[in-house]
Formats: sequence, structure tokens, C-alpha cells
Amino acid sequence: MRTLLAWLLWLWIALVIVGALIWSPLAVGFKGQSSRILFFHVPMAWVSFLAFLTAGWWSIAYLLRRNPRSDLRARVAVELGLMFCILATVTGAIWARIMWGTYWNWDPREITIVLALLFYGAYLALRSAIEDAETEARLAAVYAVLGVVVAPFFYFVLPRISGFTLHPEPVVNGSGRIEMEWHMQVVLFGSLVGFTALFYWLHSLQCRLERRRETA
Amino acid sequence: MSRAVLSWWSEAIAVFAKDWRSEFRTRYALNTVALFALTTLVLVSLGLGPLGSQGAERATVLPTLLWLILLFASSAGLPRSFVHEEESGTAVALRLAATPSAIFVGKALFSLSLLLAIEALVAPLYLALVQLTVARPGLFVIVLVLGGWGVSLGSTLIAAIISQARGKGALFTVLAFPLLLPLFLLAIELTRTAIVGDPTGPALAQLALYDGALTVGPLMLFPSVWLPGA
Repeated sequence: MRTLLAWLLWLWIALVIVGALIWSPLAVGFKGQSSRILFFHVPMAWVSFLAFLTAGWWSIAYLLRRNPRSDLRARVAVELGLMFCILATVTGAIWARIMWGTYWNWDPREITIVLALLFYGAYLALRSAIEDAETEARLAAVYAVLGVVVAPFFYFVLPRISGFTLHPEPVVNGSGRIEMEWHMQVVLFGSLVGFTALFYWLHSLQCRLERRRETA
Repeated sequence: MSRAVLSWWSEAIAVFAKDWRSEFRTRYALNTVALFALTTLVLVSLGLGPLGSQGAERATVLPTLLWLILLFASSAGLPRSFVHEEESGTAVALRLAATPSAIFVGKALFSLSLLLAIEALVAPLYLALVQLTVARPGLFVIVLVLGGWGVSLGSTLIAAIISQARGKGALFTVLAFPLLLPLFLLAIELTRTAIVGDPTGPALAQLALYDGALTVGPLMLFPSVWLPGA
């Protein structure tokens, strides 16, 4: 069953890639083929936010029940979140270089993705600074829950701080509606779903792997 | 008020008073923080005082530097609020003596009063030394208070976390920075609008919201940090 689902995920992502690179039209106002980065950059950023939520969920579960497996799931979510956050930052920087000539501009969204990166890194630094396993799990869980409290600010509130942003209006706009050509909407939505499934698949894999290692 | 609430509050005040009493014995935090603040203040005004900077750039650069000074000052004084309890062995007694939320509130009030005192010292001196006039002084004061509130409460929880870890000083900065940077960003933006006289836009509401999040979150999480089995 798991193998079947994994192959379905592979197929879905393959379709997303084909859709992104071939089927979807180019967005207006972007240089060359660069608007295709959208279909990867946005889902990566979305997954990094999802990882915050996942880590927070399992951290709350740990604080309530003290089950070590919850702590493992939280930590794996943070590690994966860090990876997707780095990917989102790098793809964003590449896109910025193509569009505006510089890799980095400290645009509000760029600031907050760096904050998210720092938060993930701080979580892992905290874990490595504590010797006792129970204390490590407990304090890391507290920090992850704090992360969930501030993550909505990082991803949704602060980027709108000054009204000025380099990020384009079709997605980040005041009316809340998406103004995008429908082929692109389909591929973007498909990519979001695909990346979400990818995150949870990787998460499940990594958790199972670590538990096998523990008992071996 | 019910007796339970009164006793909870008196526990919090007792922790607050104890911290100030022991602080006045050594004056360690006060001295460190004040000296840090004054040194950076001197540096900034030397470089960017009336002779050093002109024109429109002052409105964007100078608020940033004011909050940098406050950041340094708070990093010097706030992380230690729990560390000295662990080091001097009084942490166990404190765990027995008061409920966790009262301890948190007492410690947070101590950090807040310390930071507000430093702001009261630094802000007027800063304005005088760099020759800055504030178009909206009321907003300026509100931003200082709201910013100080968030920094104190967030720092108190992080201080509690690091008191049980190794590498305390460096770890505090690592943990606190992602959490507190949004506060500083908002405060800098709002200070700029206070100096220039612009309307605040959504930033003030965002700052108040973030402060709310940093009040409720740490208050609810502190028992899990403080007590091993909670």
C-alpha cells in the first residue's frame, strides 16, 4: 500500500514538472522562462510553513503525553522544514537575480524567510546544547510551540508591514483573490498538493528509519 | 478579588521584589546594561551626531541605531534572570516556594522594569546627542513601551530555557534573535514614523498583536520549562 502511494506521488510530481516546464504558459511581466520557478518556489515556502505547524503539533502532543515518538516526529519535521526553507530561499534568490540583478534585497518576505531559517537553526542548536534526553525533548518542544505562535506573523502578517514588497501582486494582494491564468493556477495548486504530500512522505520515511535505527 | 488570586499576585510581586533586592546588592545587571547602553550611545552619536549625518537619511538610520543600542543593552542584562538562580542553587527553593506562572510574571516584570528604566535613560540622551526632534512624541513613547514589553517577555522565557542548557550566553542570542527580530523591525519602522510624523499604518496593530502573542505563549509554556514533569 505504501509503495503504491509512493509511486502515485512520483507520478503526481512528474506531472507537476511537465506542467510547470511545458504545459503552463509564461506569466506576464517576467523575464524569459523565469516565471516557471513559481511552481517550485511557492510550494517550498508553503511547506516550510507547514513544517512549523507540524513540529508545533507534535511538540504540543509531546508536552501533553510525554511520548518520545512525538518528540521524534517534531524534530524530523523541523529538519525537513529547514531543508525546504533553504530551498525556498535559494530558488527565491535565483529568481531575484534573474529579475532584478541582485540575489538579495531584504524585501519583507525575504526577511521573514530568513527569520524562519534562523528559527529552525536555533531549534537544532538548542537540542544539541542539552545533555539530558528528557530535558532536551521538553525544552525543544516549548521552543517549537513558540515557533507556531510566531510563524503566522513571519509568513502572513509581517510581509505586509510597509505595503512595499518585491513579491508580485497576483498572489500577495489586498483583495485576496488569485489573479492568475488558469493553466498556471492548476499547475500551482497541483504543485502545492504534491509538495505537501512529498513533505509528509519524507517525514514518515525519516521517522520510520530513525525508529528502526533505535531498536536495531 | 478571591484569596487565590491575591496570593498568586503576591507571589509574583514577591519574586519581583526579591529580584530587585538582590539586584541592588550587586548592581551587576544595572551596571552592565547601563554601561553597554551608554557606550554604544556615545559611539553612535560620535559617528552620526549633528555634524556626522544630514538630511533625510537621518530619519531612517537613527531609529535603527536607537533600537540597536536597546538590543545590545537587553542582551547584556536580560539573559541572566534565571541563570543566577541555577548557579547559586536557589532554583530548587524557588520551585517549591511559588507557582510557575507567578514566578514567570515576577521575573518578566523585573526584566520589563529594567528595560523600561534603560529606555528612560537612553532615549532622551539619544535624542539630545543626535539632535533629533520627534514629531509625534506620544507615539514614540508608546513604541518604546510596546517594544520593551515584547522584548522583556520573550527574553524571560528564553532565559528560562537556556538556564537549563549549556553554552548559555551564545545560546540566548541564537534562540532569542528569530523571536525578537520582528519586534525590532516593527519598532524601528514605528519610531521612524514617530520622528517624521507619518501615519502608522498597520504596523502599530501588528506590534500590539505580536506583543499579545509573546505574552500568552510564554505564559502558557513556562510551566513546561520550569517543572520537569509538567
